[in-house]
Amino acid sequence: MQYIIKVKHSERCISCYSCVFACSRHLFNSVDPSRTAVFIESDRTASKAPIVTLCRFCKDPECAIACPHDALRALPEGGITLNPPKCSVCTTYDCVKACQYNALILDKNTKIPILCDKCGDCAKYCPHSVFWYTEESG
Amino acid sequence: MERKDLFQKYIGGVGVASKLLLEEAKPKIDPFSPDAPIIITIGPLTGIFPCMSKSVALFKSPLTGNLGESHAGGQFANALRFSGYGGLIIKGAGKTPQIIKIQDNQVDILPASSLWGLGTSTTERSLSEPIRDCIQSVATIGPAGENMVAFSNVIVDRHHHFGRLGLGSVFGSKKLKAIQIIGTSGVELNDPKAAKEMYEQLNNEVVTTDKMYKYHHLGTSGNILDLNELGALPTRNFKERRFEKAAEMSGENFAEKMFRRKVTCDSCPVACIHLASLRVKFAPEHERGREEIAREEVLVPYNYEPMYSLGSNLGIGNPEAITRLIQRCGDLGLDAMMTGTVLSWITEAVEKGVLSVNQIGDLNPKWGDPEGVFTEMIDNLASAKHPFYAKLAQGLNRASEKFGGIDFAVVLGGNGLAGYTTGYGHIIGTLVGARHSHLSNSGYSIDQKILSGQKTIDDIAMFLVEQENWLNITYSLIACYFSRSIYSADTTIQTLKSIGINLTEEELKEIGKNIFHNLYTYKQQEGFDLEKEIIPKKLKELDTPLGKIDPKVMDRILAQYIKIREREGLKIRKDSSVLKDLLFQDK
Repeated sequence: MQYIIKVKHSERCISCYSCVFACSRHLFNSVDPSRTAVFIESDRTASKAPIVTLCRFCKDPECAIACPHDALRALPEGGITLNPPKCSVCTTYDCVKACQYNALILDKNTKIPILCDKCGDCAKYCPHSVFWYTEESG
Repeated sequence: MERKDLFQKYIGGVGVASKLLLEEAKPKIDPFSPDAPIIITIGPLTGIFPCMSKSVALFKSPLTGNLGESHAGGQFANALRFSGYGGLIIKGAGKTPQIIKIQDNQVDILPASSLWGLGTSTTERSLSEPIRDCIQSVATIGPAGENMVAFSNVIVDRHHHFGRLGLGSVFGSKKLKAIQIIGTSGVELNDPKAAKEMYEQLNNEVVTTDKMYKYHHLGTSGNILDLNELGALPTRNFKERRFEKAAEMSGENFAEKMFRRKVTCDSCPVACIHLASLRVKFAPEHERGREEIAREEVLVPYNYEPMYSLGSNLGIGNPEAITRLIQRCGDLGLDAMMTGTVLSWITEAVEKGVLSVNQIGDLNPKWGDPEGVFTEMIDNLASAKHPFYAKLAQGLNRASEKFGGIDFAVVLGGNGLAGYTTGYGHIIGTLVGARHSHLSNSGYSIDQKILSGQKTIDDIAMFLVEQENWLNITYSLIACYFSRSIYSADTTIQTLKSIGINLTEEELKEIGKNIFHNLYTYKQQEGFDLEKEIIPKKLKELDTPLGKIDPKVMDRILAQYIKIREREGLKIRKDSSVLKDLLFQDK
């Protein structure tokens, strides 16, 4: 089952990290705030809602354009696919710097980017309707 | 250090800390001695399951002279968890101000004179780093803690508190301004399938059933109208139990007029922290000869206890005034509950002529007076310079011994009361609870069951024992008290099992009892004597929904309680006991 997921109501975020932990449980079988494809950044004054960030599955994604090793490739329907052996030679991590939306981080153990696999768990576990999500057809 | 033995024997949280306190704190130590330890722990379920969001701090309390136990939410517990620690033991003291900064394996004590004297929100803002993909927590004291006020607190992540029993002053005595933790590690799930299924089950119970609805909807502020209707809302220093302005200060009115947004502790999907928007005027009108609109907004957490202690208990109903007083206490780092109790004591003392206006800095407090005098008193308490307030800073029990007014100093075991005049359960519960809190044993809740006819007064003693023993398990996992209806004995056993910890209900109950015995042994070691504790006259004559308190009934319940505890193996009575006759009368 794959989903189209969008961060629709960031202003509703209560900073519970349910999405972050659901993602790390799904991708890595661990509860780990550093290994996740969805992020929460709190406003330091706590007067605004936290910033919730998730890959936007762009067409013409700048992360793929920036990759010097042909490891990150754009998919025709949007988003990217990763070829790990080609990626593991990288020392410059241009993909992370390139994303203007700050949606990409590296797995600190393997040093390759953590990609959202559209499982929908972040949206399912959010108790406050931050995400909009629907099953992807086809 | 590795202490697997402790976590195996006592699970985590308050259990582990209770043993560490006995090990680390020399008997009869001065709470402000450099050798006095601060122990902060988490539990095996912290960060993994919903509502496992709290950490617990144990220390010697300068307020009560024995056990200091304080729980806090925010991100602190998770920051510890994801740095790979089960807890912290802090000993020693600096000569100049410092902070402790922990980043996974890296632990640094850094000079921080630049932060000394700053309010808690400015300090937190200065220290907090703009990072993500990790968990960050900042716990800081304010000027009150720096001045070692015995009821100063530690503010955690802006809106949460290690609130009670004076942890702030212990930090202050060590010149420790703040602790900052950044955790970037993870916790592997040994049985991912079991843990994921357990999470799903728990999350559904928390989010989709009505069990947590009250906390998510109005929050604890919803208690105001409920308690007022019951006739159990402390008003004007516990003189009355209904407040004519209850509607004005109710959770419903706060939601309408003051509420801005909700936040939650890490790993909790409930969001019980309700933030009020306070508009603070910062430029006088007619500046440069013109009128200017000049206001800034501050977000202030409002919960039932500060609302009662700085509201109805002072005769104040205006929500903005109450929010301003809460904010003042928060930024200075004063426990709002104890501060309200102190202010209401001063007001009654002046009213009765026990204190003179001149004695207290030429301030004339009046019930219901929203601003000015109470704000100035809060400032005086935090600075602890004026001799009257310096004495009060040592605790209301000590101050009332000196100045008089012991009869209406509403403290038990040295600690101020939570806002309920429900009956014997609440009073005795607060007296016998290890940390003198309504959260020790939920005494107020059995009072409500007695009112509805489900229980009798003779059920109180056993209830308090069973509740406190079980809650010690809750506080070892560590679950938030609000989630106690989710984490029943069965659910607790299931949840522990899903991460590989197998304990039966009997084993859990035995551990809970042992934890209480550890805590109580520490209290006794430091000189606490339950039989000698004073119950102030105001509480002995308290009017409650069940009728006026009868001191003889209180003695009977206390005797029943002591008997149950002694059957457990705890020695409470000294040999010459005034309650001996009562104990032998009782079945």
